[in-house]
Amino acid sequence: MSDLNTRIKEVMIESLELEDITPADIVDSAPIFGKNEAGEGLGLDSIDALELGIAIKENFGVTFSTVKEETKKHFASVDALAAYISANSKG
Amino acid sequence: MKRFAGKIFFTAISVLYPVIVFCGLRYWGLSPRRLSLMLIALAFYHFLNFTRSKSGVDRGRTGGLVALVLACAIFAFVANNVLFVKLYPVLVNLSLLVFFGFTLWRPPSFAFRMACLGDKSLNMSPAFKAVERYCQKVTVAWCIFFVVNGIIAVLTVFVCSDKIWSLYNGLISYILIGLFFIIEYLIRKMMRNKMQSYVPVCDLESDARPDGALVCFDAVAEVADVSGAVANVAGLRTWRDFVKDVSRVRYYLEARENTPWILHCEDAYYFTVALLAMLQSGRKALVTANRQEAFIKEIKKPEYGFLTDEPFAGNASNAGEMPTTLIQDVLAEENARCSDGENAREIKFGKFDKSKAEMVLYTSGTTGEPKAVYKRFLQFENELFELVKVFGNDWVNRKVYSTVNHHHIYGLLFTALLPIATGLPFRRHRIDFPTELANIAGEAAVMASSPAFLKRLSAETDQPFEFKCAPIIYSSGGPLPEDVARKACERTGFWPMEIYGSTETGGIAYRQSKNGLVWTPFEVCKMSVAENGCLNIKSSYILEEEGFTTGDLVDLYDDGRFLLKGRSDSIVKIEEKRISLPEVEMRLKQTGLVQDVRVVPMVGKRQYLAAAIVLNAAGREKFAGVPKLAINNFFHDYLLKFIENTVSPKKWRYLEELPQNTEGKIRMRDIQSLFGLAESPNFKILKFRREPGVLTAKLLFPAASDYFDNHFPEFKLLPAVVQVDMVLRLARNFLDVPKELSKMNRTRFACPILPDVPVVVKITYDADAGKVIFAYTSENGETLYSNGSLVMNMTAAAGEGENRG
Repeated sequence: MSDLNTRIKEVMIESLELEDITPADIVDSAPIFGKNEAGEGLGLDSIDALELGIAIKENFGVTFSTVKEETKKHFASVDALAAYISANSKG
Repeated sequence: MKRFAGKIFFTAISVLYPVIVFCGLRYWGLSPRRLSLMLIALAFYHFLNFTRSKSGVDRGRTGGLVALVLACAIFAFVANNVLFVKLYPVLVNLSLLVFFGFTLWRPPSFAFRMACLGDKSLNMSPAFKAVERYCQKVTVAWCIFFVVNGIIAVLTVFVCSDKIWSLYNGLISYILIGLFFIIEYLIRKMMRNKMQSYVPVCDLESDARPDGALVCFDAVAEVADVSGAVANVAGLRTWRDFVKDVSRVRYYLEARENTPWILHCEDAYYFTVALLAMLQSGRKALVTANRQEAFIKEIKKPEYGFLTDEPFAGNASNAGEMPTTLIQDVLAEENARCSDGENAREIKFGKFDKSKAEMVLYTSGTTGEPKAVYKRFLQFENELFELVKVFGNDWVNRKVYSTVNHHHIYGLLFTALLPIATGLPFRRHRIDFPTELANIAGEAAVMASSPAFLKRLSAETDQPFEFKCAPIIYSSGGPLPEDVARKACERTGFWPMEIYGSTETGGIAYRQSKNGLVWTPFEVCKMSVAENGCLNIKSSYILEEEGFTTGDLVDLYDDGRFLLKGRSDSIVKIEEKRISLPEVEMRLKQTGLVQDVRVVPMVGKRQYLAAAIVLNAAGREKFAGVPKLAINNFFHDYLLKFIENTVSPKKWRYLEELPQNTEGKIRMRDIQSLFGLAESPNFKILKFRREPGVLTAKLLFPAASDYFDNHFPEFKLLPAVVQVDMVLRLARNFLDVPKELSKMNRTRFACPILPDVPVVVKITYDADAGKVIFAYTSENGETLYSNGSLVMNMTAAAGEGENRG
């Protein structure tokens, strides 16, 4: 588990005031919104998505495209989010 | 034997007289002179009765009758005139009229004498007065009957043929008398069961009940013996005592300018005495269940009085600010004032104007802060009348018990006002423990109870109580789950009768859930559906002409009965999405793992729902050893089959039971404040209860908790600093205590708190002194772990960050 992934998870827990969850409970590859077939996933809702977008922007200095489909892809999992952040924050 | 045979013979002649006379004239060819001999015989018979009768009235009556009958007989014999022969039935009527009329003039009336002969207990019965009044009316009706019957008899003598005369006096008249008897008997039966002992509270006078009638009793119920010598037994009070005590309090109140009076008495007898005295003396009564000093101070103005039966604990410095009148002192003082005998002073007890008498009640605050509700006594009086009409039949000869607070409307009506209005004896102190029911199993009881008590009844007892006769149980204050009602019925033999109502509306409707969940409204309540889908009620005990609109959503049927669909404030919007809280709760219960649950709306960064859950046996088994996150996910996943993610609860708490206030109500704000304290793996709140200024919480510190680290690694115990910090965190969250601690006083750590052992912490906050007093004990209260008091910095604008252990 990379440091960035852990940081992202901490930001998620803090900004969304998630209870009963530690970074270790969040699976890197599992969906952030809803669940996959294995039943993994954080199950966050669309309101959380807005909140999380702002928190990521504030904490990592990245912006997201206004094209919904593209943004959705970046928020697919913690891994996807980490990949997007590391690709965009350097620039 | 001879005398008996003679009596039968003469009675037969007397009854059959018209027929014999008719036959004698028509068929046997007897002359009036011959027939007059029979009259002489009857006069002789009445004379025998005259010599035997003892009472003056009876002697006068039979004496007169003998003289008249004899006179008629002589006239008939001398003149050989049939008219005189035929006058006998008229004379009998006349004599009865005189007799009945005489008893009206010199009570007790004849009908009442007969009633007393038939029912010896009537003399001590609260119904005494009512029966007497009723019997008087019956006697008047008999008199009217004899007048009419007598006039018809006279007419048949002078106007009609012998045949008609014989037919009327020998048959029709008897049938009429029989009918009168039957009708009166039926009316009396109906009356006896209904209104007999009911007297509106505002119409009570000192002679409304027999002096020796039992008004109240204490834990051990005693029965008043016939001599009426019950007053000396502890706790028992008779009607005479009650009247005297009300009179004493009235003298006290009327000698003072103070009004209104704040009233709080734990003892239902003192409460009733004080309330009636205030009503009769024209003093407005503020009835409050909350007797926290802070609350009383808040509502009290300088001109107000405060009457109670329990002084505030200690603290003489406050006594000056808070003049408190103890009712025990008032009674003793006023008793001494007329020590030369109560007779020296006139008893003050009597009717009052129900439309002028004023009261204020405080709501228990299910959904918000307690609210003052203004009442005129007329409203209670109208409701009492309605309650007696619907339920009065079942109450005859029962005693009244209570598990609820008589300072709230339901307890006030059922356990204070109703007993006084119906004359049923009541117990002075509440039943607190379900097991106490065993003590009253021999009594015929009416019990005003609540869902909270009945839940405990089914949880804390496993054997049916051996009730001699099943108690009548009422439940109000919140919905009674059907399974709790069923269990209560298994224990007591009575399926609780639920009353639906509120402080503002009084009783609205009733139901027994074994007959379905539909509510039947009281007859005087006119139901309609308000624009927002909520129930609107108009009734004789709601003063506002437009009625009162409740917060309850309703399905109203054509016949006025209705189904409740949850509270309107139970429909909330979470980020623009409407959701019914009861629906979420219902879905959670559908899992079959949940015993009780409340879902509440929360506002933080966003709006969300939070759920406080009590698992049932199956749930506890299924989730034993399962991490909390997995339990959360189980319920979350289940809910997503039915509702959208946005409105599914985001935060979860698992408790041993939901927090209830003393009225058994679960308050939304209590549940909400539970979520105000962020969940931590270091401690668990298992249950809690919040009363004004007081929090009691059962806590558990798991062995894995950080709190146990680095203290004594080989012997884990909860550090003192954590205990104090925990108190502060709880006090800040639940009791609105200021953030900053200024100093600690007399703090003592007597016994170590170990991991995984539940402890109970009681925190009391005295806002005026700025003091937080706490004690950690074991669950049974036997072991004291630590206690102390913390002084808060009342002036500090902002405190430092939380000091974690």
